[in-house]
Amino acid sequence: MSDAALDIAGLRARLAGSRARAHRLHRLHRLLRHCGLVVLCAAALYPLLWMVAASFLPEDEILTAISPIPKSWSLHNYTAGWNAFDVSFTRFYLNSALIAAISVVGNVFASSLAAFAFARLRFPGRGLLFGLMLLTLMIPAHVTLIPQYVLFQNLDWIDSILPLVVPKLLGCDAFFIFLMVQFFRTIPREIEEAARMDGCSPWRIYRRIIMPLSTPVLATAAIFSFIFTWDDFFGPLIYLSSTENFNVPLALRAFAGSDEGSSLGQLFAMATLSVMPVFLVFVFCQRLVISGAAGLGLKR
Amino acid sequence: MRAGVLGSRRRYRDTWAAYGFLAPWLAGLLVLTLGPLAASLYLSFTQFDLLDPPEWIGLENYRQMATDPRFWKALRVSFTYVVLAVPLKLLAALGLAMLLKQGLRLAVLYRALLYLPSLLGASVAVALLWQRVFAGDGLLNHVLAAFGITGASWISDPRYALDTLVVLAVWQFGSPMIVFLAGLQQIPRDLYEAAGLDGAGAFRQFRRITLPMLTPVIFFNLIFQTIEALKAFTQAYVVSSGTGGPTDSTLFFTLYLYQEAFAHFHMGYASALAWVLMSIIGGLTAVMFAAQRYWVHYDE
Amino acid sequence: MARGQLIDVEKRYGRHSVIHGASLDLPDGELTVFVGPSGCGKSTLLRMIAGLEEIDDGLFLLDGEPMNDVPPARRGIAMVFQSYALYPHMSVRQNLSFGLETARTPRGEIAAAVARASRILRIEHLLDRKPRELSGGQRQRVAIGRAIVRQPRMFLFDEPLSNLDAELRQEMRVEIARLQKELATTMVYVTHDQIEAMTMADRIVVLREGRIEQVGTPVALYDHPDNQFVAGFIGSPRMNFHGAVVTSVDGSAVTVALTGTTTQIAVPVAAQAAAIGEQLVLGIRPPNLHPSGQGDAEIAVEITLVEQLGGNALLYGRTEAGVDLVAQEPGHSAAQRGERRVFGLPSAQCHLFRHSDGLALPRRRS
Repeated sequence: MSDAALDIAGLRARLAGSRARAHRLHRLHRLLRHCGLVVLCAAALYPLLWMVAASFLPEDEILTAISPIPKSWSLHNYTAGWNAFDVSFTRFYLNSALIAAISVVGNVFASSLAAFAFARLRFPGRGLLFGLMLLTLMIPAHVTLIPQYVLFQNLDWIDSILPLVVPKLLGCDAFFIFLMVQFFRTIPREIEEAARMDGCSPWRIYRRIIMPLSTPVLATAAIFSFIFTWDDFFGPLIYLSSTENFNVPLALRAFAGSDEGSSLGQLFAMATLSVMPVFLVFVFCQRLVISGAAGLGLKR
Repeated sequence: MRAGVLGSRRRYRDTWAAYGFLAPWLAGLLVLTLGPLAASLYLSFTQFDLLDPPEWIGLENYRQMATDPRFWKALRVSFTYVVLAVPLKLLAALGLAMLLKQGLRLAVLYRALLYLPSLLGASVAVALLWQRVFAGDGLLNHVLAAFGITGASWISDPRYALDTLVVLAVWQFGSPMIVFLAGLQQIPRDLYEAAGLDGAGAFRQFRRITLPMLTPVIFFNLIFQTIEALKAFTQAYVVSSGTGGPTDSTLFFTLYLYQEAFAHFHMGYASALAWVLMSIIGGLTAVMFAAQRYWVHYDE
Repeated sequence: MARGQLIDVEKRYGRHSVIHGASLDLPDGELTVFVGPSGCGKSTLLRMIAGLEEIDDGLFLLDGEPMNDVPPARRGIAMVFQSYALYPHMSVRQNLSFGLETARTPRGEIAAAVARASRILRIEHLLDRKPRELSGGQRQRVAIGRAIVRQPRMFLFDEPLSNLDAELRQEMRVEIARLQKELATTMVYVTHDQIEAMTMADRIVVLREGRIEQVGTPVALYDHPDNQFVAGFIGSPRMNFHGAVVTSVDGSAVTVALTGTTTQIAVPVAAQAAAIGEQLVLGIRPPNLHPSGQGDAEIAVEITLVEQLGGNALLYGRTEAGVDLVAQEPGHSAAQRGERRVFGLPSAQCHLFRHSDGLALPRRRS
């Protein structure tokens, strides 16, 4: 019996040693992973960091700078670039903001109306219309582009924000409708049934019950709608022709093609500013953005 | 009898309410989607330059396409882009999702940082940046020079211009990566434990458990990214300054369509191109959906 | 077939110990059941045996060999998970062969092993189906089959029946016990259901908050619980407990008065354990509490509830001290709510526990 006891003590000592070694190996493994990820992140973000850094440098230094940290700091490019056009960037930002504001509100509101009908109301033709809505997801914008252009031309809406904004007010983004339908379906039916028994009309149910409970999906839809709208280039390219109506992406591109645009520093400064709104939204609403992006792929 | 009246009244009320809720979307559907869809099909058989009314020419546009070298070039460019960008992007996304999935500390931070390119990537700002990074005297060549390597004039070289756009696409792996991460999290942990008990090492576990169970997510990402790649426009437009050059090497199909419609005002021809694009997208999607039962595993 | 030993095994999460110095023998060929309330560490201990959790201190030996650092696949242990963990994209046949394929077993041997396992578990007709096409009970058989196929030295079951409905649970309980006898393997089985433990185990290990409270055969735990926790955990309906104070001690028994009542009873326990005036807890199981007063002492109760179960009845009586006692009466009971009754206490079946730490006063073996 005492032999066995000695044996045990010896075994425990050996095990403690091998366990410590295994822990060290594990920690090394983890360190390597962290290093790999840091390198990857740095490489991925390098172009962006360089652009931001370069925007603070005077012109002659930019051509040779490769460091993501600026050697000198100057806001010259920002102030110069902002007013480089005869139309200052303030105007462009206001245009973009107006388009974004109306589009986001319109999109979220109109989509929620349609989504509510699809998710919660019973009516003839629901299946058919829902299928039709899903099919419209497949239609690329280019197919409807030309007739829409002709239509807007006949309405004399060219060179205004109306062609960009009105479709949003009519809930033309089936993507958001689909997103909301999925969410509404998770709200327990019993809540609505109780409301119906209390005599609530569908509109009241929508306004007082479904909408307040849907803040997550509405926020997600608003955020993504904002991002798409702010960065929208193709639509404005086609419909906005005069400079003072440009949105920020369009203005940025025009800036790049102009004489002033040969100043790399000013271009980068304006480019940095143009992504700031989206970046800030991301920083403050990070969790919503990422879970929204993930949710896309999983609701099938 | 009374119940029947009440019953039909309730369904009646729902129907009216439903169409009320759907009114904006229905209006948009008819006026901005279905109407233009039919109109563009019609236009594809006409010659139309916005000034004079459309003139019926039958299949002439389609015949012209078949012999138009730019048409075939655009198709080749778009297909090359899709074939290169999509698999590489998904591989990067999956690889990084696997690196991030093991509950590393700071995983949330890495995830956000790696998602950032994806968030900002579609913007004009980034496209302009890309132009300056891959220019003959751009950032990449400066960095390579520090290692003693002379880089080519990437975006001005017909051999490499498209590749710079592929790199831009793959750089935005963050979005499908997030989807993969969510899919990975849904695989029950005890499957891996059971496999471990069965003697399976990390590689075997990846091949026999992770991959098969990820197939629905892979499928979704594949379709989504392919369609997005076929619809890509802004990057090609900005990087090539609207030309699709050098020598049409970055002439995405959508860019070609845009040029035909809004630079040359061949609206009828452009409509035909749009329908070809939609057919390609539809056809590819149909093929992928049909093929899924051979390789996609769905859980109940 | 193998003999397992746990020696002073510890598991810590940070500073916090989840398993405190557990020592245990897992005899060859026996079915040992780990049982205890949720959070007691029974699953953790099982997973440490499997190799899915690291052992922070102490030893786990299998046939004398230390297994702490041996990866799970090489311990020769198979496990049936609570959720079955069947590979959903593989057929039943592929699920069964997966482990053997990984070990590069020749195809003929794999086929033979799969055939044998599926015959024992009667799932031969399901071999080409996918898990999602199977019922809960069928999935469980496949999970067990996957374990059998590898002919392990030891089987581990982690609450395998908790996902099944009551009827199926009873059926599978019998099956698993039968299987163990047929295969004559060492099995460790984790459950929170003490009825499963009592019916299936060769030995029961009762755990609470990471400590082993008692190890013994079902009957031993039932008749001779080491402490109040085990006494109250094992046996259904639960043992009755009543506060008691020691009034006198002599060579053969300790006499206690049930607090708040006039009842006194002399219980045959080792006298040196108790002092006069000491606070104790008296325990008596419902089947042993006589519903009509026969016994060595009586206690007056007022009936608050009668549960007629058909084969027997449970009478809930409240003592003058306000404590509810449950007596079990065979057949149908004529008792009525509000009725005044007298329950009988047989001293030989009474247990005494120290109020301070719940330890049982050891009985005098007569």
